[in-house]
Amino acid sequence: MPGYYDMDDILMEDEPISVVFQVGAHGCGLLDPGSETIDIEKGMKMDLPYWLAHQLHLRQAVSISVPASFSQKTRKEIQADAACVDLKGRCPYFYELGCKIAPLVGDKTIGSFLLYAFTDRYKEMLSKSHGAPAVTRFSSRLTKEESQLFEAARSSMAAFKKWRTGGSRLEKAAILGRKRKRTVPLGPSSP
Amino acid sequence: MYGRSASQLLKEQASCESGQLTVFNNEAFDRVIKECDEHHLQLESLFSASDVADVHSVETRKLMEQNLDVRTTTNGEHLGAFIHHHSLLRNKRCLMAYMQNRAEIVRSLRWQLGPVLPEEIKAKMSYSEEVYFVDHSNAIESYMSEMDVDLTADMVPPKSPSVQVKVLDDIGDVCLGDHSISLTKDSLHSLRRTDAEPFISQGLMEELLD
Repeated sequence: MPGYYDMDDILMEDEPISVVFQVGAHGCGLLDPGSETIDIEKGMKMDLPYWLAHQLHLRQAVSISVPASFSQKTRKEIQADAACVDLKGRCPYFYELGCKIAPLVGDKTIGSFLLYAFTDRYKEMLSKSHGAPAVTRFSSRLTKEESQLFEAARSSMAAFKKWRTGGSRLEKAAILGRKRKRTVPLGPSSP
Repeated sequence: MYGRSASQLLKEQASCESGQLTVFNNEAFDRVIKECDEHHLQLESLFSASDVADVHSVETRKLMEQNLDVRTTTNGEHLGAFIHHHSLLRNKRCLMAYMQNRAEIVRSLRWQLGPVLPEEIKAKMSYSEEVYFVDHSNAIESYMSEMDVDLTADMVPPKSPSVQVKVLDDIGDVCLGDHSISLTKDSLHSLRRTDAEPFISQGLMEELLD
């Protein structure tokens, strides 16, 4: 369960959702960057981040429509060939957002659609993660959740290969980075 | 406003590799705090605006004549206040998560790099993070000295008591055990694991394989 401090959960809740206000609101016109008034009228349509849309929905102040990432067009693309769809470009938190949105818009088919997409893409992930170098065209299409799995598989494969060949076990601390800069100047530089 | 600056702050921290620190973004942090103050002001003004509608005012009497519930017309103010309130909660969560995730990395630094931090990493931390590091380091040291055990030794299970190392940078004369060794650049030594480990993790030496 994601916690209060979980970065991925917080960033996921920032995804924009298109809503229509059912009730007017005063004093927060800047919510919509393009608006000129300080009031929001009933019937106004705008994009809000998920955390706000969710709270307003609980209060029945807005109605939420299904985001574009879960539309019929995306579903058809996924059915055609799931591994080629650039989910990272459409929605980097595809699966998490889908799970949270499904009860809000009342769409019962989102769950099975997410499962289908994941299992299809997982086959590709499994085969690519055990051989390929770090960044490939395939890995740039993966959502955040998928790329965490991909990275875990890749790094454990690399660790196994290193153990097989007997690589060094004492290593420089990862936080220091690759290039070591000299912090002390060596002296006046020669002309 | 409305949590956008806070998200930018978090995205900056999330964009670097996991376990790495970005420079503490004082500007963005202060900006989020200012936005919280603004939200709070708006909240107060909306609450007092909705309180103004009392039974004796002319408008409310007109509304009651038209059979409209007084409360629905103040719903607009309440909803606006609700949005500001949740923006405040969101900003708070983002700021707390920012500090918490950085604090975790700062704690792990003690185990990776030892009690003294290199300058390049210190430059990325805020003053309170440096104090936190020193306090954490002191707590670990006092525990280790009371238990009389060095917990930071052998972070990887040892295979042999000594290792062959090559020195990468000039370290000078170091006192190891009962004798001192001169560690000059590109010299090869055979040292005890526990002695060599802190130098290797700081990047000053590297292990030689047969």
